[in-house]
Amino acid sequence: MKTIINASYFLKEVKTMIRLNLLSNILTLFSTGLIFFILAMILSGWWVSNHVVNVVQGEAEINVYLDEKVVNTDTGVIQMVESIRDIEGAREARVVDKDEAYRRMVEILGKEASVLNNFDNNPFSSFIELKINLEEIDSVLEKINHMVGVEYVRDNREVLDRLRNIAGVLKLVGVMVVVAVGISTLVIISHIIRLGIFNNKEQINTLRLLGAPETFIAFPFLLEGLLLTIGGGILAVALSDFAIEYLYVQMAGPLPFIPLPPRETLVSGMVIGVMSLSVVLGIVGSLLGLSSTKNN
Amino acid sequence: MIEAKGISLRFPNGTMALNNIDLQVEPGDMVYVTGPSGSGKTSLLKLFMGIEYPTLGSLKVLGQTMTKGQTAGIRRLRKIIGPVFQEFRLIAGRTVTENVMLGMRFLDLPQDQLKENASHALVKVGLEHKALSLVENLSWGESQRVAIARAVARKPVLILADEPTGNLDKDNALNILELLTSFIDEKTAVIITTHATHLIEAEHNSKVIRMDKGSLSWERLG
Repeated sequence: MKTIINASYFLKEVKTMIRLNLLSNILTLFSTGLIFFILAMILSGWWVSNHVVNVVQGEAEINVYLDEKVVNTDTGVIQMVESIRDIEGAREARVVDKDEAYRRMVEILGKEASVLNNFDNNPFSSFIELKINLEEIDSVLEKINHMVGVEYVRDNREVLDRLRNIAGVLKLVGVMVVVAVGISTLVIISHIIRLGIFNNKEQINTLRLLGAPETFIAFPFLLEGLLLTIGGGILAVALSDFAIEYLYVQMAGPLPFIPLPPRETLVSGMVIGVMSLSVVLGIVGSLLGLSSTKNN
Repeated sequence: MIEAKGISLRFPNGTMALNNIDLQVEPGDMVYVTGPSGSGKTSLLKLFMGIEYPTLGSLKVLGQTMTKGQTAGIRRLRKIIGPVFQEFRLIAGRTVTENVMLGMRFLDLPQDQLKENASHALVKVGLEHKALSLVENLSWGESQRVAIARAVARKPVLILADEPTGNLDKDNALNILELLTSFIDEKTAVIITTHATHLIEAEHNSKVIRMDKGSLSWERLG
């Protein structure tokens, strides 16, 4: 209740404190803004790469080549497809016949497709294209390899494992950057609060002599730290928005096949993440600054 | 109101600031503490405010025992004391009204009451026309009056004024003493430290204490 009554006083106090240490506060605002900008960029990169990995993983497929005996009987192929579909971890199975396999290779080779003319007959075999849940690749492969009528399985495992590793590394880098940015922000904010307390030492002592509670004395400093980090967060969000827009435009031309998440989703997620972090770090940093000067 | 029994104050460097002082102050008392510089006047007020603690003896102010570790109790006590500091301790960059109101913001007073108290106090000290001036633009005497207004606006039961007449000419010093005396009633006591013994007038309930090298002697009872 008293906080609400004194809200205008606290805001006025913060304004005065910022005015009296204007340069120092501007520098803090920019440095926290730049730190949060780095954080926002890393978070966005992490988000995009996770999205790409997820999309690619969602498309994870293996090719099952069958014995000639099975291929030569229509019912045998259909039965095999149904049996494979029933395996746990299999999502979608369909037959790619010789002609479709040939057409796909023509598309892949493009201008170089004329090389296929050197073959008298279609050199490709028909196969079953199977989309799977990547987490269950091991059990799916084991079951298929033990099925009668399966000649060979192409699992693209190396590529899929590499993708998983990249996602893991990005996650680790992301966590490390978030921790580093968090610590830097805490240090900066607690330092500026300490500086503010030192500059207002006389005022604080006077308030103590008048019987003011520590919470009343501390609140403007807490508010100052919070406003500085929120300001830094807003600055970072504005810069990141421009940067993400620029990067999307740059990637859309030369790298159209990369499945980027919608820009609006990415930006709104980044805004929520950075602003929440700025509030939390502002409060924690201010409390650290206050507690470190409590007995001085 | 104040009950001091054999209190002494020795600083860590060995200096004896106060030595075996007995003192009783009752509501409605006006107490002048006189004596040369370094005689212990300010140290005595510091004990009453809980800035220092007696190294010997016992001290109670408004029922609060003044010993180390009584932080919460002493904070509550300070809320009902009106201190006028020798160096004023006004907050720069703020107006006269803001300074006066600052002493009341953490008390359980509604906003209207807060403004009314500040306004009345400024009228009482004759500074209503300076209400919106920044305190750094005030003269010495005006700053002194703002400090008094801040102390009395809280309607304290005990006013402690440390050298409020210091560096003032005779007329202004008399005005300040007269002003502080005007706040005495049956519930309020005022303690003033001062060099200016020649300005003190014997009044009903006024007591004059003389301090010398940390010891106290009653000089006159009103």
